[in-house]
Amino acid sequence: MPERVVTVVPEDGLHARPASVFVETANEYDSEVKVGPEDGDLVNAASMLSVTGLGVSGGEKVRISAEGEDAEEALDALEEVLSTPEDEL
Amino acid sequence: MTERRFEGIGVTPLSGVGNVVWYAPDADLDDPPDPSEVDADAETARFEEARDAAREELERERERTAERVGEDEAAVFDAHVQFLDDPQITDGVEEQIAEGLPAEHAVQRTFDRFVEQFEGMEGRMAERADDLRDVRDRLVRVLSGGERVNLAELEKGSVVFAERLTPSDTAQLDPERVAGFVTVTGGRTSHAAIFARSLALPAVVGVGEELNEVEDGAEVVVDGTDGEVIVDPAEETRKAAAEEEEAEIRSEPVATADGVEIEVAGNVGTAADLGPAADRGADGIGLFRTEFLFLDRQSPPDEEEQYETYVDALETFSDGRVVVRTLDVGGDKPIDYLDLPDEENPFLGERGIRRSLGPDSDLFETQLRALLRAAASDAGGDLAVMLPLVSTVEEVTAARERLELFADDLEREGIDYALPEFGVMVETPAAAFMAEDLTSQVDFFSIGTNDLAQYVMAAERGNERVAELGDYTQPAVLRAIRATVEAAEGTDVWVGMCGEMAGDPDLTELLLGLGLDELSMSAVTVPQVKQAVTETDTGDARKLAEKALSAGTKDEVRRVLTENTKS
Repeated sequence: MPERVVTVVPEDGLHARPASVFVETANEYDSEVKVGPEDGDLVNAASMLSVTGLGVSGGEKVRISAEGEDAEEALDALEEVLSTPEDEL
Repeated sequence: MTERRFEGIGVTPLSGVGNVVWYAPDADLDDPPDPSEVDADAETARFEEARDAAREELERERERTAERVGEDEAAVFDAHVQFLDDPQITDGVEEQIAEGLPAEHAVQRTFDRFVEQFEGMEGRMAERADDLRDVRDRLVRVLSGGERVNLAELEKGSVVFAERLTPSDTAQLDPERVAGFVTVTGGRTSHAAIFARSLALPAVVGVGEELNEVEDGAEVVVDGTDGEVIVDPAEETRKAAAEEEEAEIRSEPVATADGVEIEVAGNVGTAADLGPAADRGADGIGLFRTEFLFLDRQSPPDEEEQYETYVDALETFSDGRVVVRTLDVGGDKPIDYLDLPDEENPFLGERGIRRSLGPDSDLFETQLRALLRAAASDAGGDLAVMLPLVSTVEEVTAARERLELFADDLEREGIDYALPEFGVMVETPAAAFMAEDLTSQVDFFSIGTNDLAQYVMAAERGNERVAELGDYTQPAVLRAIRATVEAAEGTDVWVGMCGEMAGDPDLTELLLGLGLDELSMSAVTVPQVKQAVTETDTGDARKLAEKALSAGTKDEVRRVLTENTKS
């Protein structure tokens, strides 16, 4: 299953707006997308509760995985969200 | 009846008077019926319908908030919609329904589990608990057919009292009707506080449980400056607060009683402040702090991004002037990607223009190029560039030379540009002493009173132990202001003031008497200051200023001002 590890750029991590954009993006793809700590359990990336519940801060690394036909595209898009400072989202 | 005073955290420098309306949106649910009486399919359908209705409400509220407050504040509703549609919530509710609960109980129970989970976490996570409660209450209300207590249609002069106000609650408050709000919980950075500032509503938060003693309908003064809530106020207290509240919003420029036009502008910290400043009647922007463009990010904004921001500001004030202060960082304002030195006295260290002409000269170039280009845009407003923390004539000459040099570069590159007005912030005693020599170099001065008071009095701002010294009514500060204005007299240089002092309507007459042409302040006090300008006669003001300038102590200055108000 394609996956990658990305450093979270938005300073406040996966909360509020960045989390919101992240979940929205995950929902745009057919693939099943998951996110979680670099070496921990992954949760459903299309769930705002799960994503904010991870408590990921800016500067931390997360692992994202995707399964489905558009998996690579989904990962590209999510990596982009995670690499963009909050005020540019 | 004696006054009762409650202390909280004031979040806007405004006062309001009105009558208490307790807002308690959460209705307790009755006990759930016997599971055998619950039709699971029907309940699931009810839940889905309620979810659609709630989503529509949220979308409407998002739109309204984006219009009235700003896109950033509206974004919170996106998160609400996502919680509403969250698969964990949907699954949870459906499970509870399958176990025999009616939809509203299933919603309550499912959300509460997550609320509890988020409440136990720190900082930003605890805020998510608030969002979840907000979504939960909305769904439960829709399901139980309850009308929302319509905060948007309260009687004029209502002061909303609540345990706490959610973003949805605050978004409904209509500043035309609501005289202010007070909450039991909350801090300066809570959603409610941010909304209060954006909407220019008097507000006090975090008063604590004792607020619950206050009865519905009681008369109350909300003092957002001192963070006080005064119940059953004495006539004098009430009058003082009511007078402040009366200032109407004037969107046209104002003049003194004897016809001298005075520009009253707003200070902005972020692009989101532009709209509210215009709504409060600011004639332009007297201080556009550009730090926010550079903070909280990994690399500096490029020329294009800055250009667009400046043009946005000019479009917002297409009949006015926008004074952009070049990047003022150093010492106390850390930025990761700038290599700022560790200094023993950051306030006296490498900051403001000192960095722009030194280690940050690349950033300075990008910023000046963006400003030169913005000055040529057809956005309407007039652009002015202002240098922070100037203390020598050479600094100003050097900065001016760079501006002209970059203009030449743009010319060669065939890019449109125009030379903006060029000025300095007078905030060091050196700049005030050298003002006469600076007049040949600049189009304007803007006196930054917070820093000027700090440096003239050698009393660090923000250090409460020396707050008495750092007060801008100290005679030494007044004399530094006068020296600056005097230097500009008889020249084309105009003199403005940005900072807390300019926004104090009790001092407007004095400032006009000292000879200022422009006053710039946080948007909330623009109407009061405009009002004060129209009530000022410049002849009287000059006499008042003379008296104040001859005072030898701060107490004497205050006495001169008080006596003047009484007569």
